[in-house]
Amino acid sequence: MHLHEYQAKEWLKRYGVPITHQEVISSKEEIPAFLEKWEFYPAVVKVQVHAGGRGKAGGVKLCQNKEELREALEKLHGMKVSTHQTAGGFMVAHQLLVTKGVEIEKEFYFAAVLDRASATMMLIASSEGGMEIEEIAEKSPEKIVKVPIQMDGTVRGYHVIEVCKTLGLSFARGSEAPKLIRAVAKAFAESDASLLEINPLVLTKDEKLIALDAKMTIDANALFRQVDLADCYDPTQELESEVRARKADLAYVAMEGNIGCMVNGAGLAMATMDMIKHSGGEPANFLDVGGSADVEKVTEGFKIILSDPNVRGVLVNIFGGIMNCETIAKGIIQATKEIDLHVPMVIRLEGTNVDVGRQLLKESNLPFAVAKSLSEAAEKISEAIT
Amino acid sequence: MIDKNTKVITQGITGKAGLFHTEQCLAYGTQMVGGVTPGKGGEEVIQLPVFDTVREAREATGADASMIFVPAPFAKEAILEAEEAGISLIVCITEGIPVKDMLEVSQVMKGSSSRLIGPNCPGIIVPDACKIGIMPGYIHTKGRVGVVSRSGTLTYEAVWQTTELGLGQSLCVGIGGDPLNGTHFVDMLEYFEKDPETEAVLLIGEIGGEAEEQAAEYIQREMKTPVAAFIAGQTAPKGRRMGHAGAIISGGKGAASDKIEALRAAGVEVAMTPAKMGEAVQTVLKS
Repeated sequence: MHLHEYQAKEWLKRYGVPITHQEVISSKEEIPAFLEKWEFYPAVVKVQVHAGGRGKAGGVKLCQNKEELREALEKLHGMKVSTHQTAGGFMVAHQLLVTKGVEIEKEFYFAAVLDRASATMMLIASSEGGMEIEEIAEKSPEKIVKVPIQMDGTVRGYHVIEVCKTLGLSFARGSEAPKLIRAVAKAFAESDASLLEINPLVLTKDEKLIALDAKMTIDANALFRQVDLADCYDPTQELESEVRARKADLAYVAMEGNIGCMVNGAGLAMATMDMIKHSGGEPANFLDVGGSADVEKVTEGFKIILSDPNVRGVLVNIFGGIMNCETIAKGIIQATKEIDLHVPMVIRLEGTNVDVGRQLLKESNLPFAVAKSLSEAAEKISEAIT
Repeated sequence: MIDKNTKVITQGITGKAGLFHTEQCLAYGTQMVGGVTPGKGGEEVIQLPVFDTVREAREATGADASMIFVPAPFAKEAILEAEEAGISLIVCITEGIPVKDMLEVSQVMKGSSSRLIGPNCPGIIVPDACKIGIMPGYIHTKGRVGVVSRSGTLTYEAVWQTTELGLGQSLCVGIGGDPLNGTHFVDMLEYFEKDPETEAVLLIGEIGGEAEEQAAEYIQREMKTPVAAFIAGQTAPKGRRMGHAGAIISGGKGAASDKIEALRAAGVEVAMTPAKMGEAVQTVLKS
């Protein structure tokens, strides 16, 4: 689950990470009263959307005075932000973050991640701030330092020194950098985060370290014990279909193609999308209906797939394991009766009790085709829509 | 790794899934010897004794393996308990364990003589001998192919294809779809390379992480047994989690194309579609 920048910064502040004074505007009506009391200029306004590249998309404005600030707030509130991370669509900025501008002396990259290969939490820092880490890794890998965070959220003293030296900051007792390094590590470890990125971390002209931007992702499986962070969930930053799928406990990802698919199992669902592409089609979504694939889930899955106006055909691919094909076929038949199936549909069933399942599908006289193999299914649906 | 003499307990045996799959494993011929549910020690389900702790279960039954169905918030403790009780093979089926919990588990497993398979996996099976997991038993036949996969139903698909082609399987392992898991591709490749029953390996990977790249490096360096592979997620968008917690292309890493390239460079026969997984193994067996 992604946090907004202002939420991530509030969280960091709790751990003692310095941030600039900030306020959040959630509606246009708040703007006049806010302008009356805001007194820090220059001010920076930033759209709060779950996507990077906001600056390039015009979602960040520097304002020198009240008039510029008013203009920026009115223009940016409700803005449809489309960046390289919004997959051709856009996200609406329902909230704006206003911060006090600072005079920057130097920018750094600072992050905490979960490193899969070594199964450790790591701090990553670089003296090159403001760029994406991939870009830094390519251009100047020697300017990146990586050190482990211990399981209890502490960082060993010699690792702190290593980070400070790479950034060219003082590690002397009482100086700011070691405190900040330890605070970020603790904030990361205690929040069940999978990513915490401060880019840039800045050194101001008056020699203060400040987290100027922050991006944070929380492990969705740990939200049961991160109650405060779970409250940060913002459904407006997800597509309606994805919010709906989340409620129905379906794993769904919207895509830009025209063949919807419903599959049991994540690996098989990805493989089915690949198969569609290979047969000349384009997948409209990823949908893992799960191991049980009962009538309610299948029905809701169909409804979500068909709510996408780009969908011109549906492919169902189920490998019946413990849940046998007869039960699944009955579920599909029931679900098909409940929905308005206005596009061609091809069903491929395999696995336990498949003969009975296929027979039931054929005898149902419902408007779908049945395929025997995965390749046949993909070819049939690609043909059906051309 | 497992055979018909392997004695298995179920942690979470009185839950719906735990009980159902214990019965299914029994029906397949696995030696299920008991189960654990804290607070239900002394009871019996489907004629199997239930214990409060894994240690008690192990002492009373001599179990060597455990199959875990404990709900995600408590799964970390269940794994650590099995490890501490000296269970040598721990198969964790549970999906949705927080990554931070698995971080702790990984630290313990590094210095342990026990092996953890999973979490978020279908389990492990030696056809006609022992099934510890949720896969449908009947799709398997005893044979020549070692199967290792990050997926569930996609593995069944692959197994079914090798069964249909008359190749059969020596051992099938689902290592799980989470970012951190107990057994990695390389561990299984090492096993298959030494296993006289395994004539070829079918590796099923997916987007996210670098486990397939590490496997490619190992194959290139150490393996004589031929390997075929399929990588799911060639059409997956960047930065989106595709069902499995570990299936995400992030930070410029984990794309299917990189994995396919690495495996090909290591001499692996990579199937371009999931319909061709069985044929790909057949090809490497012939050459």
